[in-house]
Amino acid sequence: MKRLVRAAAGALILAMAALPAAAQKKGGTLVMVVLPEPPTLASYLSTSGPVGQVAAKVYEGLLEYGPDQKPKPGLAKSWEAAADGRSITFKLQDGVTWHDGKPFTSADVKFTLMEVLKKLHPRGGTTFQALAEVETPDASTVVMKLDKPAPYILSALSGYESPMVPKHLFEGSDIRSNPNANKPVGTGPFKFVSWERGQYVRLDRNPTYWRKGQPYLDRIVARFIADPGTRTAAMEKGEVHYGAFGAVPYVDIPRIRTLPHIDVSTDGYGMISSLMQLEINTAKPPFDKVKVRQAVSYALDRKFMIDNIWFGFGKPSTGPISSNFQAAGLYEGKVRDYTVKDAVEIANKLLDEAGYPRGADGMRFKIVHDMLPYGDEWRRLGEYIKQALGNVGIDVTLRYEDVPTWLKRIFTDYDYNITSTFYYNLADPVMGVHRQYHSSMIRKGTVFVNGSRYSNPAVDKLLDEATVETDPAKRAQQYSQFQKILAEDVPLIFMTEMQFATVFNKKVKGAFDDALGVYSSFAGVWME
Amino acid sequence: MIAFWHLFRRNRAAVFGLALLGLVLLLAAAGPLFYPESAFKLVDKPFQAPFGHWLLGTDMLGRDVLAGLVHGARTSLLIGLVATFVAATFGVVMGGLAGYYGGWIDDLLMRTTELFQTIPSFIFAIVLVAVLSPSIESVVIAIAVVSWPAMARLVRGEFMALRGREFVQASVAQGMSDAKIILVQILPNCLSPIIVTGSLMVATAILIESGLSFLGLGDPNVMSWGFMIGAGRGVLRSAWWLCAIPGLAILLTVLAINLVGEGLNDALNPRLRER
Repeated sequence: MKRLVRAAAGALILAMAALPAAAQKKGGTLVMVVLPEPPTLASYLSTSGPVGQVAAKVYEGLLEYGPDQKPKPGLAKSWEAAADGRSITFKLQDGVTWHDGKPFTSADVKFTLMEVLKKLHPRGGTTFQALAEVETPDASTVVMKLDKPAPYILSALSGYESPMVPKHLFEGSDIRSNPNANKPVGTGPFKFVSWERGQYVRLDRNPTYWRKGQPYLDRIVARFIADPGTRTAAMEKGEVHYGAFGAVPYVDIPRIRTLPHIDVSTDGYGMISSLMQLEINTAKPPFDKVKVRQAVSYALDRKFMIDNIWFGFGKPSTGPISSNFQAAGLYEGKVRDYTVKDAVEIANKLLDEAGYPRGADGMRFKIVHDMLPYGDEWRRLGEYIKQALGNVGIDVTLRYEDVPTWLKRIFTDYDYNITSTFYYNLADPVMGVHRQYHSSMIRKGTVFVNGSRYSNPAVDKLLDEATVETDPAKRAQQYSQFQKILAEDVPLIFMTEMQFATVFNKKVKGAFDDALGVYSSFAGVWME
Repeated sequence: MIAFWHLFRRNRAAVFGLALLGLVLLLAAAGPLFYPESAFKLVDKPFQAPFGHWLLGTDMLGRDVLAGLVHGARTSLLIGLVATFVAATFGVVMGGLAGYYGGWIDDLLMRTTELFQTIPSFIFAIVLVAVLSPSIESVVIAIAVVSWPAMARLVRGEFMALRGREFVQASVAQGMSDAKIILVQILPNCLSPIIVTGSLMVATAILIESGLSFLGLGDPNVMSWGFMIGAGRGVLRSAWWLCAIPGLAILLTVLAINLVGEGLNDALNPRLRER
C-alpha cells in the first residue's frame, strides 16, 4: 500500500510541476515526417517503428515513462506490486472514454492483455509469459496474476509497447483482420481522422481527453516522404517540424543543424537502446574458435565507423547490454576492452594462436560477410569491414541480398559466416537481450533471435535467474557476470551503441519529456 | 584496311571518339600498374576535395577516387565487351537460323524473341540480377539476356534479304551444306551491320551496368562507376565530386563508343560511301 501512496504522491508532484510552465500555447498543427509509410496502424500487432510513431498518439498504455525511464501514471493512476512479486494491482484513471464515446474500463484492459497482446503482439508473448490471469474486481481496478515474479512488466506498459485497445470493437472478430488496423479508435490525446495513402495521416485533437487542458496541439499530420533529399529540404523550409529515427539522413545533419530554426537531439531513444553488432555463426569454422572471434573484435575500429559511416552518431559498445542501463544498475563496463591501442597486433597474434597462419598471399582464410540489407550505411560498413579484416589476413567477400533471402540465410539455413545487424535492448534485458543469447532461443526459422547459435549453460542459468530475481542488487550482479562472460566469448561482435537523431524545428516544445520520444503520445507537446 | 581508315577518317567526330576510347582503354590497361591494390583500400582522411593531395580527392570512407575511376574503367569495359559478345553471338545464331530457314523455325524463334522484347529491358535486368543475387557473372548474364533480341531481329532481316540472292542460290545448286552457306556465304556479307550494332550495344551495356550498380545491384566486391555514383548520391550536396567524376567518365566513354559506332557505320555502309 505504501507504494501506491508513493505513486499517487508522485503523480501529484508531477502535476504540480507541470503547472508553472503554463506558458504552453494552445493550437497549431505539428507536421512530423514518418519513415517509411506504415502498412497499417495496428500497433497491437506490429512493433514496426513507423506504426508505433503514429499509433502512439491514438492508443495509450497503462503507464508512461519519464526521461529517467521511471514509470509514471498513464491510463493507470496508481499501481502496486505484491510483496511476493506474484501480482500487480492497477487503479485506472476516472472519466476516460474511447474516441467513440464508450467508457474505458478494466474489462478493456483484461481483453487487451489476455486476448491481444499476450497472444498476438510480437513481443507480448515474452513480456507477458508469466501473466497467468487478469482479475477485474471493479470497473477501475485491474489485477495482474503472475506465475512467477516478472519485475520487467512495469517497464513494458507504454502506449507503444502495450497499447490498450477497445474491447467492444474487437471482441468476437478476427483481431488480425479487424478494420481498426486502418482507422484506430483509442483513448489518446489525438483522434484518427483520415489517411491519404502515400501522403499523410491526419490526427485531430481529442476534445474529451481525460487530462484536462491537454493536448495543446490542434492537429498532428504524419507525412510520408520517400526521398531523403526531399525530407531534408522540407525540414529546412519549415514544411515539416519533426522527424525521428534518421528521417533526415545523418549526412545532412552537420549542415542542417547550423540553421537558426533547426535543432537536433539524440534524446527519446533511451527505452530502445539499439546496439549495432556483427552476428557470427559460432557453429561453423573458423568462427567456432573463440580466439578468431576475439581477433575480429580487436581488428575493427569502432570510432572509424561512428565518425565516417554514422557521421558522429553513436558510441563504442562494450557488451550485450547498453550503457543506457547504467542508471538501472544493469550495465557492466569493466569487461575485456577491444579498443586498446595495439588492437591490430593482438588480433594478428590471436589468429596465429588459433592455428590460422598467413599464407603466401598474406591471407589466413576466406569468409563471406553478409551486409544487412537495410541501405547504404550497412554497405559502407561492409566495405570497411572487408578492408579492416583484410589487414589482419582475413579475406572477406561481400554479399548483399534482399531482406527475405537474408533473413532465411541467417535465421533458418544458418548458411553464413558473419553478418551486420542491430538489436533493440528495449526497456529491460529480459525483453531485448535474452532472445539473443539464451540457448532456448536457438529457434530455426524465427527471426531476430539467437542466430549465432550460442549455447552456454552458465549464461542460460544467469539469464533464467535474472528473469525472476526481484532484488535489484542481486539482479545487477547476475547481469554483470553475464556481460563479463559475453565479452570473453563474443558470440556476436559488439560494435556500437547506435544513436538515432531527431531533427526538429525549434518551434516544437516539450517533445522530449518522455523516455519514448517519438513513440510517446505528444499530449504535452506545443508549438511556439 | 587503308581504304577503310580513309573512309572512317572522313567522319571527324568518329576520330575524336576513337581517341577518347583509346584513352579510356589505356586507363583500363595501364591502371593496375599504378594502382595494383584494391580500389576499396582506405588511403586517407575522407571527403578530401579534388586537386589536393589526391588528384581526384577521396570519398566518404577515405578511398582514392582516381583509383576507383581506373578500376571502374576496367569493370565497365570488361562487362560491356563480354556481355555484348555473349548477346551478339546468341542474337546472330537465333536471327541467322530464323532468317535462313524461315517457316516454322522462323515463327518459333521470332515469337521467342518478341517475348523478350516486350519486357522493358532495364526492369528485366533488375529482376534477373535480384534473382541470381548480385555478382559480376549475373550482371553479364542479365545484360546479355536483355540485349540479344535487337541483334536477332537485325540478323534475321539481313539473312532473309541475302537468302534469295543469286550467289546463295548458286551455292545451294552446287550442293553446299546449310552450315557452310550460312557461315561462309551469308554471314560475311552481313558483318558490317553486326559490327555497327555491336559497338552500340557495348555503350548500352555500360549504361545498364552503371544503372544496376547505382541501384546497388552490382557486385559489391568490384569497383565500378555506377557504384561510385550510387555511393556518392547521398552526399551530393557536400561532396559533389563523388558523383560528378564517375558520371563524367560514363558520359565520355558512352559518347566515344557511340561516335565510333557512327563512324563504323559510315565507313562500312556502301550506300553511304559517296556521301
